[in-house]
Amino acid sequence: MIPSAFEGARIVMCKELRVSFRQQAGWCAMLMFALTTLACVSLSLSGGILEPKLQAALLWVILFFSSMAGADRGFADEDMAGTLPTLRLYGASQSVLWGKVGYTFCLLLILAAFLVPLYLIFLDVMILRPLWLLAAIIVGMAGLSIAGTLLGALATGASVRGGIFTVLMLPVILPVFLPGIALTDMAFGGEGGSGSYLLGMILYDLMLGVAASLLFDYLWYDD
Amino acid sequence: MPVIHYIAFALTAAVIFTVVFVVPPAEGLGNYVRLAFFHIPVAWVSVLAFLMSAWWGQKVLRHHDMLADAKSAASARLGFIFTVLATVSGAVFSKLTWGSYWNWDPRQTTIFVLLLIYGAYLTLRAAIPTQRRARVSAVYALFSFLTVPFLVFIIPRLYFSLHPQPVINGSGHIEMDPVFLWTLIAALLDMTIIYWGLLYHIVCGHRHKDGKDGETI
Amino acid sequence: MIEITFEDVCAAYGEHVIFSHLSKRVIGGHITAVTGENGSGKSTLLRLAGHLLHAQVGHVLVRVDGKEIRQSELRSHIAMVTPEMKLYDQLTARENMDFLLRLRGVALTDAMYKDCIRHVGLSEEELEGKYIGTFSTGMRQRLKLAVLFLSGADIWLLDEPGANLDAAGRGMLLQASRQAADMGRIVLIATNDNEEEAAADDTIRL
Repeated sequence: MIPSAFEGARIVMCKELRVSFRQQAGWCAMLMFALTTLACVSLSLSGGILEPKLQAALLWVILFFSSMAGADRGFADEDMAGTLPTLRLYGASQSVLWGKVGYTFCLLLILAAFLVPLYLIFLDVMILRPLWLLAAIIVGMAGLSIAGTLLGALATGASVRGGIFTVLMLPVILPVFLPGIALTDMAFGGEGGSGSYLLGMILYDLMLGVAASLLFDYLWYDD
Repeated sequence: MPVIHYIAFALTAAVIFTVVFVVPPAEGLGNYVRLAFFHIPVAWVSVLAFLMSAWWGQKVLRHHDMLADAKSAASARLGFIFTVLATVSGAVFSKLTWGSYWNWDPRQTTIFVLLLIYGAYLTLRAAIPTQRRARVSAVYALFSFLTVPFLVFIIPRLYFSLHPQPVINGSGHIEMDPVFLWTLIAALLDMTIIYWGLLYHIVCGHRHKDGKDGETI
Repeated sequence: MIEITFEDVCAAYGEHVIFSHLSKRVIGGHITAVTGENGSGKSTLLRLAGHLLHAQVGHVLVRVDGKEIRQSELRSHIAMVTPEMKLYDQLTARENMDFLLRLRGVALTDAMYKDCIRHVGLSEEELEGKYIGTFSTGMRQRLKLAVLFLSGADIWLLDEPGANLDAAGRGMLLQASRQAADMGRIVLIATNDNEEEAAADDTIRL
């Protein structure tokens, strides 16, 4: 009996987490990359005070670029290790997709949990509405993990590795990125956002999910 | 298709003649309005080419149709060129009427995102080995198509709220004057025919040149 | 009964044609050897058989009791051993087997694990607690065979399966292939090894 997509996704996700915790270099690289991006921004501002809108924009730029080092890990690692053909043979498409999305989501949440507090400290940001920030980040990372998993699968086997994933990601993730900035602006006390942006982001996440699920079958099965 | 070439040629000549000699200067825009008859059709074809690329993409996925892949790729390449033309003509128009080349007006944002998508699509095509190219490109064409509702419905809101100053809208003027309207419709039709003709030219030329599989980009 | 039909199949890599006009019916219960020089398309043929590669020209149909199967249903019938399919270096032998078999809905019990490990010529002690990244090529090949045997798949696609095995290992493999064929499975072996070719009931020469 082939396991259900849900059970299969759980199996894949457990495998991913187990492998990734044993491969500490991956984590070090991702978190250090995030720290470097943050340091870059923070140092170049050298203590200047920013208005909430710019603070929000910078936070998302840092989140976006540091997540680029992690959001495609689901497939890039398998491609590099040569295990992708094995997974392709044994795993059903939806199990693999959603297992990897779940894993990437965990990865990005850990990244955000590491990065956001540091950002708030370094840039001395006041949060007036913390729940909105939390919601924007969770919904934003969900979108990044869905789009990142599908596009990571697309980019496997590409002849040029560096950069192509980011290039593919940016246009697709803008509908999460821009409202995310507006909501964060609101959380920081600005006047940019409103609750309907969050709804828009959630809707877009759902669209990404449905499309990824439909399209991934075509990548996974050749016939 | 020689007939379509003649039609395109005649129509283009007629449109250029009308735009240069018949269309009166618009209130507020003066003679600059003539640029709109190039800018609006080119922008329309940018969007149309994107739509067609995604349409042929789903054919590739569903039927393993390699001809559809060639069409999808050709449409994206043309779309990229048209988008560049639309962006540049738009920037010039913007400089002449609003005083700056770029000010993240909703439409400028939309066309810029379109440019990014086309760029990403063509980069992906160039980087993926032949056997997987058709499927991978088709999946990206369709996946990036998801952004369309966002570009159409959300971006105007998002950017309108950031730029509260009224945005001058060329089409608002044009709809009032029947000469403007009909010239614009003719120009749109003409540009669409040019796109179609170029598309078939590329697809047929490509098939004549190297059979079914040896694409270069 | 399971069968694979190749109908006028051509395989090409870009402009370079590897083989063309291949028509053949392979049915369960037989071992079929696929032979030919290097680059003659043996591996490609195996991948076409499992629909892991789409035939641009011609058709490859897989039927179970006369009904055509495709995509996920077809995948669940296939097990494959090829040099390009690697196992997870950061997992132990048991974890690797657990993962792949659970994806196929096979629950790996201790008894099954021990039996199978012994059958493929590995000892539990040497596997215990080690990630397979430290294993020799031969040990990994045996581990792949263990997954193959337990997967319950009825299409076996084997690409040079004996390449990294010693004589005892090759003997075990041929014996297991024969047993699989006797159970009505399809065994396709891409090989240049005379012994493996001789053990086959039928041969596709490319």
